[in-house]
Amino acid sequence: MNQWEVFVMDMSELAEGKDIELSIRTLNPGLQKYTYKRVRAQVSSSLDKFADRLQVRLGRGQLSAAKYSIKVIEEIQRMPAKYL
Amino acid sequence: MSKISAPRSNREFIEACVRHGDAVRIKQEVDWENEAGAIVRRACELGAAAPFMEKIKDYPGFSYFGAPLSTYRRMAISLGMDPASSLPEIGAEYLKRTNSEPIAPVVIDRKDAPCKENILRGKDVDLCKLPVPLVHDGDGGRYVGTWHAVVTKHPVRGDVNWGMYRQMMFDGRTMSGAVFPFSDLGKQLSEYYLPRGEAAPFATAIGLSPLAAMAACAPSPIPEPELVGMLSGEPARLVKCETNDLEVPADAEIIIEGVICPDYKVEEGPFGEYTGYRTSPRDFRVTFRVDCITYRNNATMTISNMGVPQDEGQLLRSFSLGLELEKLLRSQGIPITGVYMHPRSTHHMMIVGVKPAYTGIAQQIAQLAFGSKLGPWFHMVMVVDDQTDIYNWDEVYHAFCTRCHPENGIHVYRNTTGTPLYPFATPHERKYSIGSKVLFDCLWPVDWDKTNDVPTLVSFKNVYPKDIQERVLKNWESYGYPQAK
Ligand SMILES: Cc1cc2nc3c(=O)[nH]c(=O)nc-3n(C[C@H](O)[C@H](O)[C@H](O)COP(=O)(O)O)c2cc1C
Repeated sequence: MNQWEVFVMDMSELAEGKDIELSIRTLNPGLQKYTYKRVRAQVSSSLDKFADRLQVRLGRGQLSAAKYSIKVIEEIQRMPAKYL
Repeated sequence: MSKISAPRSNREFIEACVRHGDAVRIKQEVDWENEAGAIVRRACELGAAAPFMEKIKDYPGFSYFGAPLSTYRRMAISLGMDPASSLPEIGAEYLKRTNSEPIAPVVIDRKDAPCKENILRGKDVDLCKLPVPLVHDGDGGRYVGTWHAVVTKHPVRGDVNWGMYRQMMFDGRTMSGAVFPFSDLGKQLSEYYLPRGEAAPFATAIGLSPLAAMAACAPSPIPEPELVGMLSGEPARLVKCETNDLEVPADAEIIIEGVICPDYKVEEGPFGEYTGYRTSPRDFRVTFRVDCITYRNNATMTISNMGVPQDEGQLLRSFSLGLELEKLLRSQGIPITGVYMHPRSTHHMMIVGVKPAYTGIAQQIAQLAFGSKLGPWFHMVMVVDDQTDIYNWDEVYHAFCTRCHPENGIHVYRNTTGTPLYPFATPHERKYSIGSKVLFDCLWPVDWDKTNDVPTLVSFKNVYPKDIQERVLKNWESYGYPQAK
């Protein structure tokens, strides 16, 4: 099980039941901890729905009590090709 | 040879601080995740010695140096002065040196540059190989740049800029940073690179000599490499980057080279800020793609932990903003006694002492201050007369509460430039960097009759004849009082 974290300004950014794009950071222990990936994912407020866990922080770093499970469908490359 | 003996590198500075009791060597292992940040924060809040953390979890061979310039003692050490020097003495020295002839930097050979002892390129580039700390719990990321210089060069004019703009590790090859639109780099990006969609070369230098870091934070019109020379009395030693034309301080601990992608923004923040809050939320900010990392053997990463007073975000910035404004006001021939920003104001209030030579002098000062390049960083100017000690808050506060007329003495300026970091600003104002400013004019009006209209200050010094004052001072202890400080 992977642990992820997301920052949102509003909980509505975590729409359930459809694919959404998120920048999530890994909370898995190790040198990569807190680095981000841009992903297409599905999230659910039911912790049993997906294998990975998603913790939520608000815009100024406040930890939300809400807990989600998440399925990362694919990693997305956002950086324009000219900078790759 | 220079008569100044200021530490020329971060390493010399640490040694000098340890020697004077202004840094402690921490031998036990410290975690990069929160623990190092918490140590630095507590040291700032206590005004304690700077922590030199020699062993970092997961990162053998690296160390941290925190709170480098969060006390006036360490500022004096950085300038090669007696650590016990008073603030006015340190300020006078800064003014003397920065008003001297510019000293051009020298570019040394790559093989002589300590910052090239280790070089990571291509697939080896990974910011996770550096002990990037999680400075505050709840920050948007691990911050690579909290006490550093982002080096850039204007592609046409060739002006070199070193600026301290915070940089977060987004992933192993990407950083995001808070570069405000009114900063030198912000202007360079919006004026040149953004319209062209062209990558802008940058280099981030971490673990600088304290005077190089001071120059990177100073709102001075003098190019920073020359400013370092003036502050330290000898040429700054620079070296060419590996992947671009920029020159970086050769003695820096870590150099990160790459390009800024002006038309591609990624998430940055939140982060603890100099105001003592996390005010600006997570947002899309400037993106830095990393191409190369070079570092010294046993490199030391420097950490500034911003939060409630006092850290270098308040102490150093109050110092240099105040003194650069002093230069500006003197250059306009205004008869000021000095300018002081109390660090606890989080450099939001500029206190100016002036001889009230003519009507409107306080407004002239405020308009120059708010209208200058420094203006976005503060929103209050308080003008007191030349009899008030600007460094003595008791005197300034008394003048403010007794001389500032609530209608005639308070002047509000609307729709000016602000920053997204002002805690009191509305969310809309923060989003668009809209500011408002206020002047507190604590001068007696020039058109009041000096004898009949101006109240008499009732103080020991002001109302008693000289001979009585001398007698009382002479007999003070024989009256039964302990010696006055
Ligand atoms: C610890 C510290 C952190 C800072 N972080 C930022 C920052 O993230 N963004 C910014 O625009 N200025 C920041 N500043 C202020 C700039 O360093 C300062 O304005 C400097 O003069 C560079 O601005 P310039 O490009 O206008 O010369 C910071 C200052 C300090 C002391």
